Amino acid sequence: MKSRLLAIAMMLVLAAALTGCATTREMEKVQAEQKLLDAKVEQALQDAQAAKAAADAAKLQADDATARAENAEKAALERERIAAEKAQRADAAFQQSMRK
Amino acid sequence: MRMRRIVDPSLFANWLHFIALGISILALTGCAATKSAWLSPVLPEQEIERNRFAVVKGVDVIGRLAVIRVEKGDTLPDMARHFSVGINAISAANPGVDVWVPEDGERITLPLSFILPDAPRTGIVVNLATMRLFHFKEEGGSLTVSTYPVGVGTKERPTPTGQMHVARKASRPTWHVPASIAEDHRKKGDPLPAKVPPGPDNPLGEYALYLSKSSYLIHGTNKPASIGLKATNGCLRLYPENIGMLYQDTPVNTPVVIVNQPYLIGQRDGVLYLEAHTPPEGSDSSELKKINAKLKTIENKSARALDWKKVRIVQAEAQGIPVPILELRQGAEKKASKTIELKHPVTLYGRPEIPELKLDAWYVLAGDVRDEIDAQRLAAIINHQGPPIPAQVLSKSSKNTGYRVIAGPFGDVNEANDAVKRLKMDLDIDATVIEPVRKISRSSRY
Repeated sequence: MKSRLLAIAMMLVLAAALTGCATTREMEKVQAEQKLLDAKVEQALQDAQAAKAAADAAKLQADDATARAENAEKAALERERIAAEKAQRADAAFQQSMRK
Repeated sequence: MRMRRIVDPSLFANWLHFIALGISILALTGCAATKSAWLSPVLPEQEIERNRFAVVKGVDVIGRLAVIRVEKGDTLPDMARHFSVGINAISAANPGVDVWVPEDGERITLPLSFILPDAPRTGIVVNLATMRLFHFKEEGGSLTVSTYPVGVGTKERPTPTGQMHVARKASRPTWHVPASIAEDHRKKGDPLPAKVPPGPDNPLGEYALYLSKSSYLIHGTNKPASIGLKATNGCLRLYPENIGMLYQDTPVNTPVVIVNQPYLIGQRDGVLYLEAHTPPEGSDSSELKKINAKLKTIENKSARALDWKKVRIVQAEAQGIPVPILELRQGAEKKASKTIELKHPVTLYGRPEIPELKLDAWYVLAGDVRDEIDAQRLAAIINHQGPPIPAQVLSKSSKNTGYRVIAGPFGDVNEANDAVKRLKMDLDIDATVIEPVRKISRSSRY
């Protein structure tokens, strides 16, 4: 009877141990997986940050280019306006000079 | 039994040969036509009628529109004079084109088609709004019209409308300076004598037709670039070459009618045209209402629908050229006169000549500007003064950052000073006399 109980207990312990081992292994596996995942997340975060930084830089560049283009357009329009004004003034002076 | 051949091979071969030959001929013709098209495109025309046209009963539109390409150094006033149109007309027909420095290669419309004014087709008819004179003459049973651009009165001293006639005419007329004009000149610091004899300083030019309305003349000019401008004291000015023709063709007592019609409608070959000009300053919309009422009547009579949107665009753009707006006869618009491409003449008539630079001559510095276009414009304006003052742009040197406009050459300091005075009075330019680079001694003159 005793020996039977002992055997059962040993089997139970063994089973528990084995289970424990399994649990630990699982835990370790989970932890390892988690680590890997963490690393992936970290990588992804870094990638996202880098992408954002690149996007921000590109936007800044684009904004800068847009601003430069707008300024250039304004400057061109201003030059056109001045040229048209000069031409008008010249024409007005010419028309005046054509009077008797 | 021997089977008869259904097809005789020799006959078949002959047909094949004929077909092959036919195809070859067609192919070669096609090549020739294509080659011909590549080598001989439609050539621009050399000439176009500018002044004299037959007038057919029931036809209100004369002349043809043309286009021509600008060449380096052209100005719109020079092109206008060559083709006998006014500066107003060529500018209106080419909105946005720089009058003095048009772009090389730019296509310019020459407004050489006109709708006759709504007035009796007899004697001289002047339309102030279009700045154009029409002289109708019966010749051998048919009616002709000679037409010329004119300069008209300013806003302050407008040319009067109404009926009058040619009271007398004179060649090489003396200008008796009216008191009001003498006063204006005195105020400017440019006192005029009581009479100006014939010559380059006489604003009447070589010929004058004196009208029955006192003090009003049709005359020539010493300022050809003013034709098409509101620059006179009420008289009508013509290019020197046009007043000569009009003077020869116009007997005393010829009736003269002066109208002011900015909107004209007329028909030719089954098409109704509308010609719109900028209405006179300060005028109300009565002329517009009148013409629209006429158009409505025509629309009702013809039982065809007018494109009123197009009509409004033509009126707003006021380009001064006849625009087809209604087909009065089916298919008429397709057969209507098309705009022709004109070849650029070798020289433009009346274009001011720029003398070569002379180291022993006096010059006047008229301007020192940063922009080359501004310099070219200034030089062109000075060149087109009446009497002309030759002017040119000096190439940029390493020493100066701008473009210099110099007037001259002048024979002596007095001539140079006269030019300085004229530039100040007429163009408000502060010019500087430049001494000759090299003085030629008396002994070396020839």
